[in-house]
Amino acid sequence: MALLAACSPGEGVDLDESEGEGTEQTASGETLVAAIAGEPDQLDPHRTSSYFSFQVLENVFDTLVEPDENLEMQPALAESWEVSEDQLTWTFDLREGVEWHDGTPFTAEDVVFSYTRIIDEELANAWRFASVTEVTAPDESTVVIEVSAPTPNLLPSIGGFKGMAIVQEENVESGDITTAPVGTGPFSLADYSAGDSIDLTANPDWWGGAPQVSGVTFRFVPEPTTAVAEITSGDVHWTDNVPPQQVEQLEGDDAVVLGAAASNDYWYLAANQGREPFDDVRVRQALSYAIDRDAIAQVTQYGNATVNQLAIPETSAWHTEYDTYSHDVDQAASLLEEAGVDGLEIDMLVTSEYPETVTAAQAIASQLEPLGVTVTPREVDFATWLDEQGQGNYDVLMLSWLGNIDPDDFYYAQHHSTGSFNFQGYANTEVDALLDEARTETDEDARRDLYAAAARQIADDASYIYLYNPDVVQLWVPELEDYEARGDGAIRFRDVSITG
Amino acid sequence: MLRFTLVRAGHAAVVLLGVTVVVFALVHLVPGDPVRVALGTRFTQESYDALRAASGLDQPLLTQYLQYVGNALTGDLGVSFRTGQPVTSILLERLPATISLAAAALVVSLLIAFPLGIYAATHHGRASDTVVRVASQAGVSVPDFWLGILFILVFSVTLGWLPPSGYVPLTEDPLEWARRVAMPALAVGLVSGAIITRFVRSAVLESLGSDHARTARAKGLRARVVLLRHVVRNAMVPVVTVIGVQAATLLGGIIVVEVVFGWPGLGRLTYDAVAARDYPVLQGSVLLVAALFLLISFLVDVLYGKIDPRISVR
Repeated sequence: MALLAACSPGEGVDLDESEGEGTEQTASGETLVAAIAGEPDQLDPHRTSSYFSFQVLENVFDTLVEPDENLEMQPALAESWEVSEDQLTWTFDLREGVEWHDGTPFTAEDVVFSYTRIIDEELANAWRFASVTEVTAPDESTVVIEVSAPTPNLLPSIGGFKGMAIVQEENVESGDITTAPVGTGPFSLADYSAGDSIDLTANPDWWGGAPQVSGVTFRFVPEPTTAVAEITSGDVHWTDNVPPQQVEQLEGDDAVVLGAAASNDYWYLAANQGREPFDDVRVRQALSYAIDRDAIAQVTQYGNATVNQLAIPETSAWHTEYDTYSHDVDQAASLLEEAGVDGLEIDMLVTSEYPETVTAAQAIASQLEPLGVTVTPREVDFATWLDEQGQGNYDVLMLSWLGNIDPDDFYYAQHHSTGSFNFQGYANTEVDALLDEARTETDEDARRDLYAAAARQIADDASYIYLYNPDVVQLWVPELEDYEARGDGAIRFRDVSITG
Repeated sequence: MLRFTLVRAGHAAVVLLGVTVVVFALVHLVPGDPVRVALGTRFTQESYDALRAASGLDQPLLTQYLQYVGNALTGDLGVSFRTGQPVTSILLERLPATISLAAAALVVSLLIAFPLGIYAATHHGRASDTVVRVASQAGVSVPDFWLGILFILVFSVTLGWLPPSGYVPLTEDPLEWARRVAMPALAVGLVSGAIITRFVRSAVLESLGSDHARTARAKGLRARVVLLRHVVRNAMVPVVTVIGVQAATLLGGIIVVEVVFGWPGLGRLTYDAVAARDYPVLQGSVLLVAALFLLISFLVDVLYGKIDPRISVR
């Protein structure tokens, strides 16, 4: 389809007709139009948990440090930092001359305010500061973070995503931050039209250099077919709302650019270890042998994924090799027999909010059928799903974890016996010890070994049955240059330009 | 007439109060905890308790309800759990988009229904009647969102005539508004027009065979006058009822079509509010739709009297 529906000049983009010619080299004059799949719930980075919000906020706010394309932490609002000998004091030197979008100067007090807000108000990300005892600003451009124990993952914790952004006290106190946030980032918020779009304007004074485009309009286009039509008709430059079944066809289409990146997200199955017979490790292992990960990834992602028996993908520096669970139905059958389980019936909790879970449940049901296992998918809305999970009202469930960078993100909350998300009820003292130790181990190689050992044990015990890492798939017009799809799903438009 | 209006307004108020009870009860009986949805997957017990208290959800249900109704009387429908904004202003922001789409769709449907319905009735039993009947049956059966996607593929992708989605307020740029409302209005209007066509046809058909129509013809009136003055006017009472219901349905949310065309209306707002368990927004939008429904049925009642003076005001 799409007979070279290239952008006719100036089509569908509102230019700020400020001064006609003579614009500085800051902007090419064109506004980038991006179609995202839904509307942000609010624009307070500390309070939202919506990916749609973060797609916008990535371009409005800054963090002290931020992940580069390899997800390694680089300077952002902090120019440099050092850790004390005893690993308990982190000192950050802030970039000088940075201003908020309203023109007031950014100082170390803003950092103290932001972090104290997250900790004191018990906001959703307070857990990332678990080891932090104090945040102070000895002078305008220095921030000191004291921790109770060595915290090797402090940088990814404070900079991994814009949920840890530095916000402005005045903006928070006035309550404006929910709809009119003031940041220090490459773009500032210009207009918010509820239900329709958000307009950002380039910040010519951004510390990283003025953006090439004059602004970004984020339009909310929930229907993927429509979003793709917007791209092919040239009304929109970029979208991440791509129907997976169209990926193959779009790949061969010269009128568009399809970007895919292996993501750090992962999908998993978890069996409720508080219920019989799933408290028996052999039963869980049997499930792990019996399922066909490739087939599941095929039906849920149309193959736009990499199967994995652990959480962390190959592209990450923290990847561990592991392939114990070859697809082996005989092995599964003998494990079930050993455990004395016959005619197993599984109540599988799935939610329409994540259609992948519904599709996967059907595939899993047919894969387990030859073993005499009956899987009954139970489809509920996500709010109910969360309740049922919290109350342990399920046999098996499927979900994903997003935006992980440090291995602590991947494993602690999920598999430590005291972990806040260990709803499957997994407890292994050996794993607890490994995870505790790795949390404070500052030698990177030693830390890697600890996590590798913990990860293998977790998979051996089938606390989670890992399935795959999905690809981040995005679509844009060829005129959009210097854009790259990132594995962490951060959408950065600060370096892009529009040609032609 | 004044008494009629007052009595009807009184009825409407009682119905509306009933709606608040039902909506409030339903919304709170739906399983799923809004605080958990708002917090996402990782949170501590402290942050959970704090948000729950801040949203007033730790209060007994009856207290919550009485507070809600009390505030609603002053136009305060509460604050959205998700965005923290007043529900009343959120609803008012969305209303123009919905009203303008519903009005455009209604115009489309009437432009289809009246000519086709009357034509089919006056050509009863002939091939053209059959064509209209089959076409309207097809129109009733086709989902409007599917038509919407088809239109996007034809008019935007292949022909490049219209933008695939998005909204521009009518007051800001009428021409651009028209370009953007055309496809969703056509998609919804075709389906709703098919429904009304069937009613127009059968009502006109019945009226054609009635005594007064025969008398009018016997008096030697021209066929055109008989049709418009005597037949169609008498057929209007049931048709207006259906149009009223259609109009109310259109206002109540063309949910899926709004999603397909990225139209920022009430339907999409309600849809998002359900998914997020945003009780205040959900209650507010259902209440608003109920109020609109009552308003329209009131207007329909008034119209009855205008169309047919025999219908007296009780």
